[in-house]
Amino acid sequence: MKHPARWAALAVAVVVAALAVVLASQVSTNPQADQQMSRLVGQSEPTFTVHTFDGRTLSSASLAGKAVLVNFWNSWCIPCQQELPDLKMFAAEHAGDPNVVLLGILRDDTVDAARPYAEAEGMSWSLADDPGANLSLDFGTRGQPETYAISPGGLVVGSEIGPASVRNLDTLLAAAQAHP
Amino acid sequence: MIGRRLVLWGGAAALVVGALVWAAWPSSGSTTSAARAHELATELRCPDCQALSVADSDSSSAEAIRADLARRTKAGESDAEIRQVYIDRYGDSILLKPPSSGLGLLVWVLPVVAVALAIVGLGFAFVRWRREPRLQATDADEALVHGARG
Repeated sequence: MKHPARWAALAVAVVVAALAVVLASQVSTNPQADQQMSRLVGQSEPTFTVHTFDGRTLSSASLAGKAVLVNFWNSWCIPCQQELPDLKMFAAEHAGDPNVVLLGILRDDTVDAARPYAEAEGMSWSLADDPGANLSLDFGTRGQPETYAISPGGLVVGSEIGPASVRNLDTLLAAAQAHP
Repeated sequence: MIGRRLVLWGGAAALVVGALVWAAWPSSGSTTSAARAHELATELRCPDCQALSVADSDSSSAEAIRADLARRTKAGESDAEIRQVYIDRYGDSILLKPPSSGLGLLVWVLPVVAVALAIVGLGFAFVRWRREPRLQATDADEALVHGARG
């Protein structure tokens, strides 16, 4: 073999280049990037049954045929408080529409703390507990607030990670209603 | 003599590479469902807190995942199936370690290859240095030293 040192240098260069490619590909799947999108979009909604603060039972089956916005929230998170006025406006706009449901799912909070907060804030939409955080897990949530749009046919068609505005909520609702 | 040295160097290189491969190789699966659930919890990133594993975090989502892992391992789901459930929900970033298959395998293999190449390169360098003639003191050098010593 002529010039073995050159071959060794070439081999090292190839390994370094391959390592750079791998690192670049790993960076492209970093947690921040994954946080901005839900893997659930385009898939069927998780099957669920929840009990609302006012004693009703809602389930994915009972909500079939309606456009549903599932909002994960709690009483102590600042971004949840930031989006509250928009949620109130959205809920008021669609209060008379039986085919639109806004469902708030409590995340990382207790009903004892959230119920008086919801009453004081006048949160008029359906609010439910998530004991064991099973639904939060099934939706693949990373925090709160997060909002998911479910079509009448049970397909998750959109998500908003972080505080949602009325405009965001209307867009999610339109996407849900566009899928039968 | 040279053959014996080559065997020694080869043996040392094989030992180092073997140790690196053994260290990088995924550990064999635990036997009990509780031990498997704990092992999986150490592999998954807590969704709320990022820097901690599910096993180390006290957040409600980590608690929920631990309960889910216990339920799934008890139900007989394989480690690969359970990992895939979480990758489907959260993406590859839910794994604290890069996957040991596909492109992610390179992350484990490349350092071993790099060290092996470095050892081979050192071997070449040592052989080359041995072949180069050593410096010999000439008569003029000897005269200079004697002159300096007086």
